[in-house]
Amino acid sequence: MDKLLIVDLDKCTGCRICELACSFEHEGVFNPRLSRISVVSFKRDGIDIPITCQQCETALCLESCPSRALYRDSQLRVVLLNEKKCIGCYTCIMVCPFGGASVHSLKKVAMKCDLCGGTPKCVEFCPVEAIEYAAADKVGLRKKRLGAEKMLKYISLIQKEG
Amino acid sequence: MYPLGGYQGKYIFVDLSSGKVEKRELPISWAKDYLGGDGFAAKVLWDNIKQGINPLSPENVFVLAVGPITGTLFPPSGRYMVASLSPQTLRWGEAHAGGFFGPELKYAGYDLIVITGKSDSPVYLFIEDERVEIRNASHLWGKTTFDTTAMLEKEHNDPDIRVLTIGPAGEKLVRFSAVMSDYYRAAGRTGIGAVLGSKNLKAIAVRGSLPVRVKHSQEFMDFSTQMFKEHKYGEWSNYIKHTSRKYGTTGLMDAMNTIGRLPVKNHYDGFYPEIEKVGGEAIRKGYRIAHKSCFGCGIQCKYFSLIKEGKYSGTKSEGPEYETVDAWGPNIMVSDLDIPVRANYLANAYGVDTISTGSMVAFAMELFEKGILTKEDTDGLEIKWGDGDVALKLLEMIVRREGIGDVLAEGVYLASKKIGKGAERYAIEVNGMDASAQDPRAHKSVGLTYAINVRGADHLRSLSIIDELGFRNKSLERFPHLDPDICCNLLDETYKGYMVADQEEAFAICDSLILCKYGVMWPPIYYFPEFSKVIAYSTGLRKYLDVEEVRKLARRIAHLRRAFNMRAGLSKDTLHPRFTEEPMPSGPAKGQVCKLEPMLKEYYEVRKYDSETSNFYYETLAEAGLEDVALELESYGRVIRRKDGGS
Repeated sequence: MDKLLIVDLDKCTGCRICELACSFEHEGVFNPRLSRISVVSFKRDGIDIPITCQQCETALCLESCPSRALYRDSQLRVVLLNEKKCIGCYTCIMVCPFGGASVHSLKKVAMKCDLCGGTPKCVEFCPVEAIEYAAADKVGLRKKRLGAEKMLKYISLIQKEG
Repeated sequence: MYPLGGYQGKYIFVDLSSGKVEKRELPISWAKDYLGGDGFAAKVLWDNIKQGINPLSPENVFVLAVGPITGTLFPPSGRYMVASLSPQTLRWGEAHAGGFFGPELKYAGYDLIVITGKSDSPVYLFIEDERVEIRNASHLWGKTTFDTTAMLEKEHNDPDIRVLTIGPAGEKLVRFSAVMSDYYRAAGRTGIGAVLGSKNLKAIAVRGSLPVRVKHSQEFMDFSTQMFKEHKYGEWSNYIKHTSRKYGTTGLMDAMNTIGRLPVKNHYDGFYPEIEKVGGEAIRKGYRIAHKSCFGCGIQCKYFSLIKEGKYSGTKSEGPEYETVDAWGPNIMVSDLDIPVRANYLANAYGVDTISTGSMVAFAMELFEKGILTKEDTDGLEIKWGDGDVALKLLEMIVRREGIGDVLAEGVYLASKKIGKGAERYAIEVNGMDASAQDPRAHKSVGLTYAINVRGADHLRSLSIIDELGFRNKSLERFPHLDPDICCNLLDETYKGYMVADQEEAFAICDSLILCKYGVMWPPIYYFPEFSKVIAYSTGLRKYLDVEEVRKLARRIAHLRRAFNMRAGLSKDTLHPRFTEEPMPSGPAKGQVCKLEPMLKEYYEVRKYDSETSNFYYETLAEAGLEDVALELESYGRVIRRKDGGS
């Protein structure tokens, strides 16, 4: 079954270890600019939201890539980039609704998450388990349960009061 | 490329008087012999600060340093340090902060910034990789640290730019002004913010895109991974989850009260009966709204707080930490947590150290009680114990240097001299620094820590945790020749000289790498074997795989900082009489005083200092590779040559 990177926004503390693990895995150096995942911070209010490729089923990046450098890996269902074919036009960056793709500042080609071939380092290193690599069909159910748990708190409150 | 791993190999030198900006190569000898952080600062300040200068004059030198592991994934290493001749203590000044600024400077390509001189008008330093510019900051002068940061983000059209700034307090030369970064991270102690203020340097904004490379990347990554797993699944992982992450440092409120070491009423007492009102759980339940972290941390003790109701409702900020809660709570007899939470926010906004500002309030309250300060001195303000609103009013007066605030802004040491009338007795300080939230009567080794610490009565250069938290196994591991029950006995002065000297060495490396004290102090994951590996793998200096070489490096840094203080006038290692003469009034340490002399004697022996005069032996400095320092100190009469030539 397909698996997805799912971020729990309540858990992310903004430490950026995911960025460091990602840049080391792909580039052998520590550099957040070369990370495929980026934590976007709203610093004054202390809110952190990690942004990465969602591996969309209908992938606008893939469909609009003029040199067909982006392609779908049949096994992991992940959108991969063939750097040799990439012409650096960055159409993928322009069409992505999430900011899932970015520019590789040294190679001058596009750069995006490849799920580390099935063992994503961001997941392995996240100290608070805010990123999960989960089966796609179970993600919805999981979210429903989390939502239900929140409601449960209110129900328990009402029961206590009652 | 720079021959050593971990470093970017460059530093920025700025002379604000002439407007000169230079990018210089980092001397390889600095990296090899001083490592980074504190080590770099010790080298630069020793070489460049002349004896007898005024810390608020253009001649003072400001240093901002990171270390070889800053910007890597080794946890928890996302830190930077600042140093200068302190305007507060008139001695060695240094302060550290986490957040994100340190790594960003590294990504911009620099290991160190050295700033001297004074600009004619307010300026800020802008760094973006190769680009380093002095820019006009007239429009930022007078602004809070929060507004300055937001304005620079907007001006540069870059919400991710990292800003380090002073607030109005630093501009007004309040002697315990902080350097703030990333909005809420404070390099708070020793008044470095006032040094920047005296130079008309409002801020440093940095943005970097360069990689950090380590020398032996696979060994480094394997070791980092192992250490990560240690944080996440190892021996201490449950403690990290259930205390550090749940309470941050505020969990210490309860722990310290339990051993009778929680400063109450200007360090008069060490036990607070109303602890449940100000403890970790009260903060978590009443104020905590989000869990946060500094860069690359495996512990993650940070949190956001919000005052939800009352007249300070809507106050939102990171923190407060343990030290702030005690300084603005029990130490001024306040049990309403709104006060420390609000004080934390205001101190961060104005850019003053929460600890020292709280100490000034406690000092003023005790002087008022004793009649040394009266309503005549305070323009009618009644400064009574436990009055939180008056405490916050004093904070505002201090940062603006209004009325009595002008004297209090001098710091506890200089203010007590100005006030006179026996005020010194209530100025709870050592070597010019007001005491942080420990008490040597309940934890004897703290007495020695305060006495020999390069920044005075403060715990973070050598606090011994083995006795503090009763780590018997660690005692056996680190001091196999000493009885662990005596080592772990908080109230016994015996062996504490060994333990404090050992911790001083560990912290010298921790502060130079730079690692967070969490991870080294509590939980005690890192010690010399780990330091040795991470230095060797990151820099490629394989000689540091020999732990004794790392020890030698630690001693070099510790000796050099002390040498700096001797040149600046340090004459004796002492402790305030409140800790040595006034028995603890209540709590678990009731009746105790701290006996400093036996601990000092032990410490000097371990350190190889002369126990009569506390002077260096020439050989001690020579062994550490500091012959030139020995020769200069000898001319001030602070070095003794042993007649037998032994060491």
